[in-house]
Amino acid sequence: MPPPDSYPPMGRSPVRWVRRDSGPVVRPYAVTGGRTEPADGEVLDIIAVVVAMPGGDTDDDDPQRRTPEHRRILAMCQRQATVADIAAGTGLPLGVVRVLLSDLILSGAVTVIRQRPAGLRPGNDVLQEILNGLRAL
Amino acid sequence: MAFAPSDHGSGAALTAHKILIAGGFGAGKTTLVSAISEVRPLLTEEPLSTASVGRDSLAGLPNKKTTTVALDFGRITISDSLVLYLFGVPGQERFWFMWDELAYGALGAVVLADVRRLDDCFPSVNYFETRDLPFIVAVNCFDDAPRYDLGEVRLALDLDEDVPLVLCDARDQASVKNAMIRLVESIAAGDAGLASAQGRSLIIGH
Repeated sequence: MPPPDSYPPMGRSPVRWVRRDSGPVVRPYAVTGGRTEPADGEVLDIIAVVVAMPGGDTDDDDPQRRTPEHRRILAMCQRQATVADIAAGTGLPLGVVRVLLSDLILSGAVTVIRQRPAGLRPGNDVLQEILNGLRAL
Repeated sequence: MAFAPSDHGSGAALTAHKILIAGGFGAGKTTLVSAISEVRPLLTEEPLSTASVGRDSLAGLPNKKTTTVALDFGRITISDSLVLYLFGVPGQERFWFMWDELAYGALGAVVLADVRRLDDCFPSVNYFETRDLPFIVAVNCFDDAPRYDLGEVRLALDLDEDVPLVLCDARDQASVKNAMIRLVESIAAGDAGLASAQGRSLIIGH
């Protein structure tokens, strides 16, 4: 039996990590104030690359007060990082990281460097670089 | 969503690529990912599907509608600006809804097969075949598993001739490395004739 085709590729129609009919929100989403979807409605790819904007670590004029989790994520964004890196590094579930990252992106503290386009294969120069890297392991 | 020039942070813009490690429960996905990369658990909160009823004990938790799933997540640094991510895809049917997100934009996949339970990897093979995602099948050589000729395995899996089939010891870094190299080589070979794909990737600045 093939996997259901009803799940659209993310980016076009964001996958909901918790459905609307999920009832009481479970603990991990307490740190998002119960929000399960990114504030800007765009679901970041699991390997989208993000980075903190210069000066983005001052939240004096941030209308939405940052939580300790926001600050932990922002600290990890001081170097370029993927969404997966941040989730693994903070121990926060992926869906939670996406919601909190979207807050930081909306407030201008973090920017998306690379959001992978659909179905794009890299050029052979990149594949060759990956091959060389694997062989050197 | 705001996009910025690539000069923020440390040096060149980071490019991330992902490879999926699929296969049935117990096929050795976790072992394989840990053999070749530093592994950290990646937590996701997933809606509980009806398929999990009877598997996940919900006694005393009448309102529990989601469950935490830990993905195997490995990171291989190729260069300062190029990182390869490995994601172990949960093989059970109840996790299939996660596959499309993980497969989205992936370079390709390694399907781990255990010859004692070959049918466990049928769903993975079907999935990648129907999605046109490049993949290889790696037969994990468990110590206590019978040895079969790869031709027999290919026949049993009804695998196309152009899908590489390799033997692999998921515990052994060199063996896993060779399987990954085989995958990337087959991706490169498949792409060689696709001028349009090459052109597109040049436009976005690879």
